[in-house]
Amino acid sequence: MKNLKANPLLTFFSAIIMLLGLAGFSSNQVHAEESDTLRVGMEANYPPYNWTQQDDSNGAVKIDGESLYANGYDVQMAKKIAAGLGKKNVVVAKTQWDGLLPSLTSGKIDMIIAGMSPTPERRQAIDFTNAYYTSNIVMVVNSTGKYANATNLADFNGAKITGQLGTFHYDAIEQIQGAIKEPAMKDFSAMRVSLESKTIDGYVSEKPEGISVSSANPNLKMIEFKRGQGFHLDPSETQSAIGLRKGDSNLEKVNEILATIPEDERDKMMTTAVHSQPKPATEGNWFINIWQQYGAMLLRGTAMTVFISLIGTIVGFFIGLLVGIIRTIPLAKSRGKRWTTRVASFLASVYIELFRGTPMIVQAAVFYYGAAQMFGLNLDRTLAALIVVSINTGAYLSEIIRSGIISTDEGQFEAASALGMNHFQRMRKIILPQAVRNSLPSVANEFIVNIKDTSVLSIISVSELFFTGSTIAGQNFQFFHTYLTITFIYLVLTFTITRIFRLIEKKLNGPKDYNLMANQEQVTSNSREVKN
Amino acid sequence: MANQDSIISVRNLEKKFGNHLVLKDISLDVTPGEVVTIIGSSGSGKSTLLRCLNLLEDPTNGEINFKGENILGNGFEITKYRSKVGMVFQSFNLFNNLDVLENCIVGQTTVLGRSRQEAEEMAMEQLKKVGMDPYIKAKPAQLSGGQKQRVAIARAVSMSPDVLLFDEPTSALDPEMVEDVLASMKALAHTGLTMILVTHEMAFARDVSDHVVFMDKGVVAEEGTPEKIFNNPKEARTKEFLKRYLNQ
Ligand SMILES: Nc1ncnc2c1ncn2[C@@H]1O[C@H](COP(=O)(O)OP(=O)(O)OP(=O)(O)O)[C@@H](O)[C@H]1O
Ligand SMILES: [Mg+2]
Repeated sequence: MKNLKANPLLTFFSAIIMLLGLAGFSSNQVHAEESDTLRVGMEANYPPYNWTQQDDSNGAVKIDGESLYANGYDVQMAKKIAAGLGKKNVVVAKTQWDGLLPSLTSGKIDMIIAGMSPTPERRQAIDFTNAYYTSNIVMVVNSTGKYANATNLADFNGAKITGQLGTFHYDAIEQIQGAIKEPAMKDFSAMRVSLESKTIDGYVSEKPEGISVSSANPNLKMIEFKRGQGFHLDPSETQSAIGLRKGDSNLEKVNEILATIPEDERDKMMTTAVHSQPKPATEGNWFINIWQQYGAMLLRGTAMTVFISLIGTIVGFFIGLLVGIIRTIPLAKSRGKRWTTRVASFLASVYIELFRGTPMIVQAAVFYYGAAQMFGLNLDRTLAALIVVSINTGAYLSEIIRSGIISTDEGQFEAASALGMNHFQRMRKIILPQAVRNSLPSVANEFIVNIKDTSVLSIISVSELFFTGSTIAGQNFQFFHTYLTITFIYLVLTFTITRIFRLIEKKLNGPKDYNLMANQEQVTSNSREVKN
Repeated sequence: MANQDSIISVRNLEKKFGNHLVLKDISLDVTPGEVVTIIGSSGSGKSTLLRCLNLLEDPTNGEINFKGENILGNGFEITKYRSKVGMVFQSFNLFNNLDVLENCIVGQTTVLGRSRQEAEEMAMEQLKKVGMDPYIKAKPAQLSGGQKQRVAIARAVSMSPDVLLFDEPTSALDPEMVEDVLASMKALAHTGLTMILVTHEMAFARDVSDHVVFMDKGVVAEEGTPEKIFNNPKEARTKEFLKRYLNQ
């Protein structure tokens, strides 16, 4: 079903992974084949194939590293596969769509069971089993809108239609005569929001998703096409298959297990999945509902965002301080020292160019998946996130601190020298306090940027606020309200941080008034004393 | 050769900025307790000479001896030397991040290794002498120019230097503030501290100094006692310079 053709990010990863493979590193595998746990990668946000829920009801499975559970058609299928392979446990690695392939090839997961179609492009990177579900292409529209009663493709003449980025759904829009092809969207949550807010008239989807969304949200409706009146598609594209690492010896065995599950049993599993997917509360105040149902999740997401941004900004600040100082060391007289300074300063500028010149999302992905692929290093996601944010922040702040140092009045430097201070003492006592004070607004700014930019860490599945929000929206189908709640939390965070930094600045500036230590008369008599 | 009695003795000093020769063959002797004033027209190299004396500028040639030791020699401890040769700048250069008291303490504790209490007592004593003790909690930005310069003097003196250099300490001040600063300097001169100062205050130079150096175009054009230089100059350019200044 879901097909991902031209995602530039994935192309980029594939290129890197191929390079690493050429370098002979790719044979590293993080997880022992012998383990009795099956690690399965999925978005856990694409009902009824897979979704996230708060408890283990209806046979849900634990999500790795979180106190949340995954369920859905894919999860139930994973359990059958695990049983067939003689594995005791199934663990779900909640992974963004873009991160599934690198997760598999780098050995962080054993299988992808995520409603993925076995396309030829993908087959170049990984192996696929036979289909474990075959779907049907539908259109999702507003239930009260102009296209609510459409029956064939021709009825969508003039409609604004979109589909998920990188999927064949999106390419299929070309088959609708006269339809306006809107830009592709990142995920289904985004398309559902757009549809509800009427910025689009419909999106291309598959039957299970259509059933789910229309049963959970009465404002949306699925249009099914009769044979011959809908899209013309290669049957392989409507299939979902299980992804395995190339050469995985389990391929045959998994196919054998799949062969024991007939078509009607699969349909039954899908119907069960549609019925057991979480239903949102629809009565009462939406804001209170979201907090009651997902308050704990939201708080955890917020805490994660604050934690990563705060530690990242603090560590980044110290990195920036160090690099800023290195870049402003005056050239020494002795040749050896001169060289050391030059080399250190060169390395520092390479660091800055490298991390300022590439997006954090790419750094996170390369670092997290690359470490696994190259060195078999299975880093903790949160740790990886902390490192990436710190290093990134450090690159920005080092330039700010460097300019703070060089823009400090030359006279300050000379006066300190004239007292006999060495370079270290001058920096510590006189120059840095001023440079740091002057760079505080930029540090605050960087902190706020980090609060917002940690959302790109969803690429390595860190459950910060935005990732949490998407998960909730995927469960309750109240996209607008959920994202509004998230917006509110972000605003509270950034506003609070701005205030706190104002206070710190005020504190550092010292009191605006000072008290004379004696009365004015004494002052005058004192200065007179000196004159005489 | 270096004069045995001198605390500072300069021999054939030369300073080039690129190919611009700013100081040519300067020789100068300063004995302990002496107050030397350097006068001369703008651009004649007075500041550069002073800055060479505490190595804020690197001389390109020549010799500077401090108590008989060549400060330009290899392995000479520049920071230790600078702690003994204080400097007061035209633009005050008080540390903006520190209040008045801390300005006078920071050098003592970090460079001289004095205890906090010792340093504080010394700072208070010197601030009292320049009449700035009521302002110990003020930040430099909260002071007038004359007040800043008096604090800068207290800061320099708190280091118990052997020699104090002043580069036009009153040029950036309004006339009514000049008096306070000059008074502080005069009091210092009377304590027997060795002072080398660049100034355009001719009356002050005449009253306070033991020795006057007149510089012109990077050389010492004439030097001697204040009486000799101000009342009986030999060189035509000295006469001309003085005429311009005294007739103002
Ligand atoms: N850092 C520098 N780089 C290049 N040239 C300089 C530098 N500092 C001073 N000079 C030049 O050296 C010459 C002497 O300057 P200096 O500041 O010593 O003069 P001065 O006698 O102190 O003058 P003033 O009375 O105006 O302060 C001037 O021609 C000046 O342009
Ligand atoms: Mg000057």
